[in-house]
Amino acid sequence: MKTYDVIVIGAGNGGLAAAATCAREGLSTLLVERHNIPGGSASSFVRGRFEFEPSLHELAGVGAPDKSGQIEDMFLRMGGDVEWCTHDSTFRLVVPAKACEKDAFVNENGVLVKVDARMPVGFESFARKLDELVPGSYESCMKAFDLSTRMYKALDCLDNLKKLPGSIKDFPDILRMVSHTMKEVLDALGMPKKAQDIFNTYWCYLGSPASKLDFLYYMAMLHSYVEYGTGIPKYRSHEMSLALDKVIRESGGDIWYNSEATRIIMKDGKPAGVVINGEKEVYAKYIISNSYPYAVFKDLFEKKDIPEKQLKMLKSRKTACSLTTVYLGMNKTKEELGIKDYSVFVAPDSDSDKQYEAAQNFKSGFCIINCLNEIIPDCTPEGTCQLFLTTMTFGDVMKDVRPQDYKKFKTEIAKDMIETCEKALGLSIMPYIEEIEIALPTTFVRYLNTPFGTPYGYMLEKWDSMIPRTVQYLGDQPFDNFFFCGASQERGDGYGCAYYTGEKAGGLVVNAIKKEGK
Amino acid sequence: MADIKSLKATKFLDMLSHRQARFEVAQAELPDFPDNAAVLAKALHPKRQYLKIESIQERGEDCKSFTLVPDKERGTEALAYFGAGKYLTVFETIEGMPVTRAYSISSSPKESLEGKYVLTIRLVEGGLMSRYIFDNWQVGTEVQVSAPAGNFEYQPLRDAKKVVCLAGGSGITPFISMAKAVCDGDEDFEMILLYGSKSSDCILFKDELAELEKSCDKIKVVHVLSEEKGRAKKGMEKGFITAELIKKYAPENEAYSVFICGSQQMYAFVDKEVEKLGLEKKYIRHEMFGEFHNPASQEDYPSEVPETVKITVTIQDKTYTVEAKTGDSVMQSLEKNGIAVPARCRSGECGFCHSHLLSGKVYVPKNLEYRRLADYKFGCIHPCCSFPLTDLVMDVPAAK
Repeated sequence: MKTYDVIVIGAGNGGLAAAATCAREGLSTLLVERHNIPGGSASSFVRGRFEFEPSLHELAGVGAPDKSGQIEDMFLRMGGDVEWCTHDSTFRLVVPAKACEKDAFVNENGVLVKVDARMPVGFESFARKLDELVPGSYESCMKAFDLSTRMYKALDCLDNLKKLPGSIKDFPDILRMVSHTMKEVLDALGMPKKAQDIFNTYWCYLGSPASKLDFLYYMAMLHSYVEYGTGIPKYRSHEMSLALDKVIRESGGDIWYNSEATRIIMKDGKPAGVVINGEKEVYAKYIISNSYPYAVFKDLFEKKDIPEKQLKMLKSRKTACSLTTVYLGMNKTKEELGIKDYSVFVAPDSDSDKQYEAAQNFKSGFCIINCLNEIIPDCTPEGTCQLFLTTMTFGDVMKDVRPQDYKKFKTEIAKDMIETCEKALGLSIMPYIEEIEIALPTTFVRYLNTPFGTPYGYMLEKWDSMIPRTVQYLGDQPFDNFFFCGASQERGDGYGCAYYTGEKAGGLVVNAIKKEGK
Repeated sequence: MADIKSLKATKFLDMLSHRQARFEVAQAELPDFPDNAAVLAKALHPKRQYLKIESIQERGEDCKSFTLVPDKERGTEALAYFGAGKYLTVFETIEGMPVTRAYSISSSPKESLEGKYVLTIRLVEGGLMSRYIFDNWQVGTEVQVSAPAGNFEYQPLRDAKKVVCLAGGSGITPFISMAKAVCDGDEDFEMILLYGSKSSDCILFKDELAELEKSCDKIKVVHVLSEEKGRAKKGMEKGFITAELIKKYAPENEAYSVFICGSQQMYAFVDKEVEKLGLEKKYIRHEMFGEFHNPASQEDYPSEVPETVKITVTIQDKTYTVEAKTGDSVMQSLEKNGIAVPARCRSGECGFCHSHLLSGKVYVPKNLEYRRLADYKFGCIHPCCSFPLTDLVMDVPAAK
């Protein structure tokens, strides 16, 4: 059996980017994946005449037709062939009101709401709209975007680990943004509370509310959505995954599907290979794992071989949120249903910390409703459209559900989510469902093999936020020839973040092997 | 004046040491936390189920029901629960050929909790697997099956409260499971079953159906007999399942769903009849088509296709080249040459056999197209319903 330069465990976004990076640099590369297709979350599935997008809401990194963003750049750089669709919108936040609340009003859908904010693309337009909704918020909003504009320069420095932490000190404001939460910074900028709530709407894409999330990380995301709008691949995220699969193959890399890493082979105290499906041994100088540290150390290592620090890290970190998604193939068009937005965030309260509290369990009143046809009009047959509704939960929310309760439980949760959206948007959805699929945390465990099925990695908290994770990345890795990538790493969840960590881990291996060669 | 300068920049330096300190004080042990989502995922979707045959019931000359129970010695402690309508893929090795077939479960979900699945299998003329099963499966025989799979299930948020079920021959099996689930209170809908058989003496599950109808007022059974001699008895109709017949038994001023399961010949007839009803697409649901044979009979099949071609296939680190008949699916050809490939539904639908076609051309029957859009762009196929037109070079995932 040949010895590879590198074996990548898991063909999720991080693993695909890592394997593509290594293969393109001429390393002998093997990517193993326990499922039959690549992508992990970045995939698709067919029901009847609909092909659903399983996880992707929107990419901030596609950019605009005239200006490519970070993700499009990566695909261009690697030669990954993806057709992009973009849309000039950010989000709409709707907070339904109970009848008697004082600032409630009836919105365009005839629904009594406390907040209805449809936010445009462009910093200036965004700030003006915010000011219109909450007078006196224009200036603080523009200041926030000014900070995020300058932040990108600092992030360029961060990409080069060797320069740290010396050079980042040249950006004192960046240090403030890194070490303070959204709430602390927006308070310091004097943004009115109600405007902060609207400004923080995307918190759920990162899984931590305004009191926990550092300003820099949130702004890195919001900034690109407001600058570019939304982007997605034309043929669901399966297209992105197959595009990278092709890049790896054409660069001479091997990909084995239905091939699960079942044990790490140790030699002289270091990983030296992987056992596949319990029977085949494959050796490599380096291993990159897209699979989470928890799954890797629990299932692939003997206890005695696990570095103590890895156990301590696992013990001290909190698993991020898990998701529940209802996929709906509708036998009416979006116009017939009365849907006008790509993304509507329906929340029980405008405050992100209160949304976070509510989302500790199901039936929280929190739900994101997306209509893919808004960006790709012909993504479903004529006379139809597809919707997906997403909510988040934390921890062991499936507790007490027995196998025989599962189908009823699933249906009940889906019904609650559909009704939440129907009420908040004044629409009728239920009678027009032609295809429905429901993915609960159980479904995500099955496909992602993460604790509670989280696609988000570890909770980003004040003490364990993106920049310290980035700075300390190398010290946090278990061996000098074993690197993690994907959502469990420094940038948390998100396609762009996973690709970034994969490229970075791949780059570390490429550099190490080049050095050895000298 | 509000300003970010009011926040301390030096706080950043504390973050790094603080983070490592948090790790340092933690216990060095694998966290152990309750995660019922993981427990459920494992229970509902085991990789394999190792079973043995507990009993066999003959149903006329060419049909048998096999009762399967968990084989604890081989590691299956309990059966995976399922929604009525799902199938199991059976794995066998016949003369060195790895072969799989999907069979609907005819027992109820409730019975699976009691440790019992029933597969009811009809002997197919010229059928490889059914012949093997009839010749070899005895009480005590060890059997391997997949987790329950498939999408032919009642969904209360999508389907009407009343369902007209159209069954043909051994296509009755998922409906037996559904009827039992309705009686057990595990499914909540009204079932009007139009069941097509040749004659009253070859109706499968005749007594069980009579019993289910008697014990539960949500079940109505009408036998539709195509070759019955003499007058039709009570609760029976002579002829075929036509649009007229469906209208006769369907609710009048109320929405209803139509579920269909039977042979390919039955679909060819019944689909046209159902179309005449003018129902919305959402109200028509089909069980899978079954393995497809004889592609050359299709109108859009190209001309001048050679009789045999070569298929070169790489699975992990092994490459094989085999001779294949163009009338066999890529999957069949590989299996015939002793190469195990991933297989579940064998009808194009589940996508489990998703593979890369690196060069060459295949024919895929139109009604078996369940590929994803990006699959066309990147040359991916489902070997179970792809027929080679030229020599092929492929990369196929490991069998599982």
